[in-house]
Amino acid sequence: MNALPAFGIVLSVAVATYVMRAGLILLLAERTLPPVVERSLRYVGPAVLAALTVSFAAGSSDGGPPSIAFPEAAALVIAAGVAWRAKNLILTLAAGMITLWVLTWMGY
Amino acid sequence: MGDRFQPFGSALADTLKPMLSPISILKQVDRQAIRDCTPIFIPAIPFGFVLGLAITEGDLPTAVGWSSSPLVFAGAAQLTIVTLAGTASLWAVIVAGFVVNTRHVMYSAALSPTFRKQPRWMRWFGPFLLLDQTFALVSLKTDMEPAAFRRYYLTVGGFFYVTWQIITLLGMAVGPVIPDEWRLDFAVPIMFMGLVLFGINRMPAGVAAIVGGLVGLAAVGMQDRLGILVGALAGVLAGSIADSVETRRSGAGRSIANPAP
Repeated sequence: MNALPAFGIVLSVAVATYVMRAGLILLLAERTLPPVVERSLRYVGPAVLAALTVSFAAGSSDGGPPSIAFPEAAALVIAAGVAWRAKNLILTLAAGMITLWVLTWMGY
Repeated sequence: MGDRFQPFGSALADTLKPMLSPISILKQVDRQAIRDCTPIFIPAIPFGFVLGLAITEGDLPTAVGWSSSPLVFAGAAQLTIVTLAGTASLWAVIVAGFVVNTRHVMYSAALSPTFRKQPRWMRWFGPFLLLDQTFALVSLKTDMEPAAFRRYYLTVGGFFYVTWQIITLLGMAVGPVIPDEWRLDFAVPIMFMGLVLFGINRMPAGVAAIVGGLVGLAAVGMQDRLGILVGALAGVLAGSIADSVETRRSGAGRSIANPAP
């Protein structure tokens, strides 16, 4: 591919991404939304991060039905328990990954 | 503390001001933010290596492919355009890159009340650094003082910006040196799940997460990971409904949960 159309792709996606990231922050800087909408924005965080979690855990970028193997599912459950109790990201990551490694090594 | 960049004249001058003084930037670094970034950074390493390799093998000229790291700065969209380029029409590649990134609109909406308290240069510059990871961390800190939030946000965003450039370059130079068997790819859902759980402080937030996850799971087969957006919208809706139910009940005399921060 020639450099010019290639750079056109990168630049278009870069501009579009910036507009999506900045758009509402800039538009809503001087005005407030109806209280119901404003309150609903609090739930973007938990909702989108939960959807990201399942997409990365059980999905693939080219579609197909959700699937997850036993070691992965067990790793998520153990990590969830640690996250809930310890509220520490490093411990959560360690617990999940060690569970995954041990179960895979045991042949599950 | 840390408010020295408040309004002086034009937005451009304000934007350039912090960049002109590297020492004052180092003083602004939020150490806690760096500690919070570290575990999230680990799963980004193999992903960056995969992207680097895809850039060297893809149809885009290598330098142009790499330029997506500083310009687009969004791994999933970058991987999409790098791998699709040459196999689909120009517009199809652009649209796919765009679609993969649509969830950023929700991040922008969710952070807009917090950014209202920020100076104008921050409202223009901050969103440039708004990754999934940035959002996941800063959305837990929206009740910070504006100056402290800004320090935290810029430290997190700056950390990921700098490290991302280095990792993609390394990936291009050496390829995927981390063995697949280490399964660092699976660290990504573990991290996001941990951050979801940290963010659930009230019942409606739990409802939002559960519905977002279940609908996201049902929609996981959609193209370009659109299921993320569908799940997220369903979760926000469910959370809002739960919120109004909770408000009505507590209005009726029973205090169920603490008022939101």
